[in-house]
Amino acid sequence: MKLAIVGGGASAFYVASRLLSRLPQDAHRIHVFDRLWAPHGLVRYGVAPDHPEVKNCTHKFDHTATDPRFRFFGNVNIQHQSEQMNVIQHAVQLPLSSLYANYTHLLFASGCPLPTLHPALPPSSHCIPALNVVHWYTQHPSLPAVPPLERLKHVTLIGNGNVSLDVARMLLTPPDMLRPYDVPESVMSVLERSTIEHVSIVARRGPFDAAFTTKELREMMNIRDASMAPIPPELLVVPTGKEVSRAQSRSIQLMQKGSKNPYGSTKKTWSLEFFRSPVGLASEDPLGPAELSLAHTTIDPANPRRAIPTGETSRLSTDLVITSLGFHADDSSSPFHDSSLGHLRTEAGRVIVPDLPGGKDLVSGSVLKNMYASGWASMGAKGVLAATMMDAYAVADTILSDLDHGDASEGVSLMNPNPHPTNPPPEIDAAAGSVVGYEDWKKIDQEEISRGESLGKERTRMGWQEARELLGRTT
Amino acid sequence: MLRGLALDLLSVSSRRPSYLKACPKRDTFAATWSTRGFHRSIPTRHGGIDRPKPGTGIVIDFKDSKGTLIKTVEANEGDDILSIAHEYDIDLEGACEGSIACSTCHVILEQEVFDQLEEPGDDENDMLDMAFGLTETSRLGCQVKVTKDIHDGRWEVRLPAATRNMFVDGKRASH
Repeated sequence: MKLAIVGGGASAFYVASRLLSRLPQDAHRIHVFDRLWAPHGLVRYGVAPDHPEVKNCTHKFDHTATDPRFRFFGNVNIQHQSEQMNVIQHAVQLPLSSLYANYTHLLFASGCPLPTLHPALPPSSHCIPALNVVHWYTQHPSLPAVPPLERLKHVTLIGNGNVSLDVARMLLTPPDMLRPYDVPESVMSVLERSTIEHVSIVARRGPFDAAFTTKELREMMNIRDASMAPIPPELLVVPTGKEVSRAQSRSIQLMQKGSKNPYGSTKKTWSLEFFRSPVGLASEDPLGPAELSLAHTTIDPANPRRAIPTGETSRLSTDLVITSLGFHADDSSSPFHDSSLGHLRTEAGRVIVPDLPGGKDLVSGSVLKNMYASGWASMGAKGVLAATMMDAYAVADTILSDLDHGDASEGVSLMNPNPHPTNPPPEIDAAAGSVVGYEDWKKIDQEEISRGESLGKERTRMGWQEARELLGRTT
Repeated sequence: MLRGLALDLLSVSSRRPSYLKACPKRDTFAATWSTRGFHRSIPTRHGGIDRPKPGTGIVIDFKDSKGTLIKTVEANEGDDILSIAHEYDIDLEGACEGSIACSTCHVILEQEVFDQLEEPGDDENDMLDMAFGLTETSRLGCQVKVTKDIHDGRWEVRLPAATRNMFVDGKRASH
């Protein structure tokens, strides 16, 4: 097997680690391609800086990368359409067809890199996706605009998942507590000038359907210099006949108890606004506050997963709305993207042909032989690292089982059964000066850590130019 | 409080290898850094603990979710279940390396053992909330230290159903 993996995040590394540990032969090769120059996907560019322990999984990834059968090619964007939008200007462009021609097997582990927007809240000077904020504080190579925290008093987050709470926590935590972590100095200086006083976290359903985990809620409750507005107690009563899980009941107890600091005893405050759904955002002055219109909602008796409007509305004056409503896959990353799902369609990790306009020779609903997907690219954007790991291991087991019974399985394969046994696509050699290998990354990684040491922090992140200079690639 | 602890550890990190700076550990763990931390941190399969002389340690039967024995091993007083599993190549993951930031080392204990252990803290319970196949006697393996005082030093540790395919024993012979 010569496997190409599109995307170098946690899912890719867990699949690779499993495959390499189960395949004792030298003949196998695994090549991972990432459009970013640094590996590890959301572990580097998603995990909140004050959750450093989550990043311990990279020790295992480092170990996997030491296997001589493994290679990483960073700063290489795999594209299947020649004129697609490319957010990373400096990435080497490699057509997907080149992976078909140079590999026997293909795994899409390309995640869900695009934020899902709210139809009533298009991005504007007053409204940005939470992903932009995450990319700002992790210094993602897409380099989004810096949020103007020095002229904001009130911020509204739409959605109450863990990404939303990560952003809220970053905005409310005293900057001196964030300094030892992996927060770029440029981000620190903006956080230090922040004038934010209140963060409202809006969700269309109630406390029993909140998307955050108890851990993230507890961290919010314990922020040193912030306090939460009490939640109306009637919202925290278990509805009659409702079955409450252990996680729900622990989370509700925490909401009843409230924040460690009593509300009003701190300059910064935050609130969980349940049963509210945005219907519009209006502003006369691009630098002044905006009016967010909120429809009041209730749970649809016919479908407890839905919220329906009650007819009441209210207005909230706010300086910035940040939407945090989940993510979906990039349909330009694979021709087999199923737009009705927002990601690839798979069965046990095998890619299934969706309904394709024009169809070609592929039968919709059939298995694409030797082609797989794992992680968010296959499941959609849900689940913490543990879920990604388990999914990855299951997909690796599918691949191993297909290797055992390969010739018997049905389906069309687009892959080359006899590529060069070890070489990456020739385009990679041609662009070698721009491609980052794993040993290059480790050099950058060590340098980031040692630069951070002198500032008393976990690391000091590099941008692409600095990384190139370190690697002696500037000509 | 956990946050404060994390910061304290970051500030005294000079004794530890630099790449470990990002790993705030619970206090008991920090105490072992000087002697064992290095072994622990290297991404190998082994747990960085010493195996007792056969016949002298606490006996642990690792079983799969159906109750089938995977392996019987021996460990010393005070070793945690995650480290023991790694020492003996039982594929219990520890993605966050014992810092209570994931649920990948979820194990199921016998009722009698569970009842005699100190209750899990809020941070461990927060992670167990996200574990697959949670039971009444579930714990994080990294937080449970084996002791002779419970169940006469003979323990049974079951892996949850969702990890049933994760054993490394019986590696495939060829591909």
